[in-house]
Amino acid sequence: MSGGSVAPGRAMALTYGLVVRQLVTRGRLFALAAVGVVMVVVAAAVGASDADGDPVERGVRLISDLGFTALVPIVALVFAAASLGDMREDGTLVYLWLRPMDRWPVVVGAWAAAVTVSLPLTVIPLLVSSIVVDAGGALVGATLLAAVVGMLVYSALFVLVGLLVKNAIVWGLAYVLLWEGLVAGFGTFAARLAIRGYTRSIITDRTGIDLDLGDLSLAAGVTVPLIVAVVAIAVSSIRLQSMEVA
Amino acid sequence: MTDWTPPQTDAAVTAPPTAPIGTVDPPPAMVEVAGVTKSFGDVVAVSDVSFRVDAGVTALLGPNGAGKSTLFRVMCGLTPPSQGTVRVLGRDARRDREVRSRIGLAPQQDGLFDRVSALQFVDIAAQTLGVADHDAAARSALDQVALSADDPKPVGSFSKGMRQRVKLAAALVHDPDVLILDEPLTGLDPVQRNRMISFFHELGDAGKCLLVSSHVLDEVARLGSRVLVIAQGRLAATGDYRALRDLMDDRPHRIRVAADRARELAAALVDRSLVDGVSVRPYELVVDTTDVDRFGRSIAVTARELGVRLHEVEPLDDDLESVFRYLVERR
Repeated sequence: MSGGSVAPGRAMALTYGLVVRQLVTRGRLFALAAVGVVMVVVAAAVGASDADGDPVERGVRLISDLGFTALVPIVALVFAAASLGDMREDGTLVYLWLRPMDRWPVVVGAWAAAVTVSLPLTVIPLLVSSIVVDAGGALVGATLLAAVVGMLVYSALFVLVGLLVKNAIVWGLAYVLLWEGLVAGFGTFAARLAIRGYTRSIITDRTGIDLDLGDLSLAAGVTVPLIVAVVAIAVSSIRLQSMEVA
Repeated sequence: MTDWTPPQTDAAVTAPPTAPIGTVDPPPAMVEVAGVTKSFGDVVAVSDVSFRVDAGVTALLGPNGAGKSTLFRVMCGLTPPSQGTVRVLGRDARRDREVRSRIGLAPQQDGLFDRVSALQFVDIAAQTLGVADHDAAARSALDQVALSADDPKPVGSFSKGMRQRVKLAAALVHDPDVLILDEPLTGLDPVQRNRMISFFHELGDAGKCLLVSSHVLDEVARLGSRVLVIAQGRLAATGDYRALRDLMDDRPHRIRVAADRARELAAALVDRSLVDGVSVRPYELVVDTTDVDRFGRSIAVTARELGVRLHEVEPLDDDLESVFRYLVERR
């Protein structure tokens, strides 16, 4: 009855199922769903306000600032960094590592699991917010596209961070808050290394509202993050092969 | 390092062979460790360790921190050696994914996928190991370690002993040729320990290669006669435990003798050169002797000649602990 090689598709599916099961905890879901609810409440308040200024611009800035500065990257960080990072920390990675499987399906499975769990927690509140903020249909479509693109790339990056360092949450937050929130505003090169610039570019392109860092084309806003995601997954696979497993 | 010739009747632990010119190389051992050193920064966890292991149960004995788990991790490919080579079934588990399906590892660390049941955990192991009938294999493996496959409780709620058995089942589920079990008896009650030890021997008799680590000397004595002793990252001794004891008869043995007129008896033993050292207490003496057989033959005769009444003659170091202490202290 000895075992045998596991095909990549099978390895991916097995990892996916396992990681989803490990990621979905009541605490995580409630905490992050609460953040989404706060986002919707704020959007509803902004949409109902009769303050001066363009209501479309107000809505776009709200979605961009709250949704793509905080909600998307933080939800992605919590789940993606934990997908393989938690296993690395608690020693259970050995149960996926010492197996007759390629490394890349394991990484892809973990990444897909993180995306699966994260997407509903971000896309639903973002879409609801973009509707209740009453800034037009273009914002709804832009929000959906930017949320999906952002989630794919943030998740890939944070899967890698989880494999590279201990305390991945701290490092991920440092990237989101310090680099994307602060350093990216200092120059073009730094801005190009910030995912937020690409998601903002999608929103700018679709809504016509100028946002800081959002000066790229729609094509660049979509393709560059996807390329970064593929590279991050490839590097994660190499890292998984070369790392020392506890 | 102490090496000695292992029993010729079965497969065994051996030091790496040196083939004379003109002879063919010996067939590869099931596990072959050659000159392995593993360092973490300035810390040398394993230093220049070499041995070959074939079918049967081999105990890896050493205190906590001796390098046992690191050596097992190197053997499984979980961490690369800083120097040297490891071959399991002739292959490098770090590079060769196929051989991983023939290795069963029960790691020392306690981490499990805590939110799944025992059956789910072992079934996941079976599936990721490419076992065709994974459900039946998982149920069978759980049965082998006396756990219920129908218990729906998550393994996170299991006791230490039950978690240990889940790990064992996951290591066994694909019927591997080589089983590497890191402290597998920790947390088991005495009945379970005996059962597991018997089971390990059954697997060994069936041609499997089992490497079982422990820092509990009593366990090692029961695990089998084949022992690798590791201390401070170095292999202190390899081979048959009983042969090791025989070869170590040149070391002083310590024996407690309870007798009346203990001082008079002690003087006589020294006069007759039956002991190398003696300490006397009221009604008791503790002697050191390098010739335990001669001492055993002479003590009763000497006491009778003196009219001393012997109450008890008890070896104080006739266990694996003393062997281990001797090997470590001698290095």
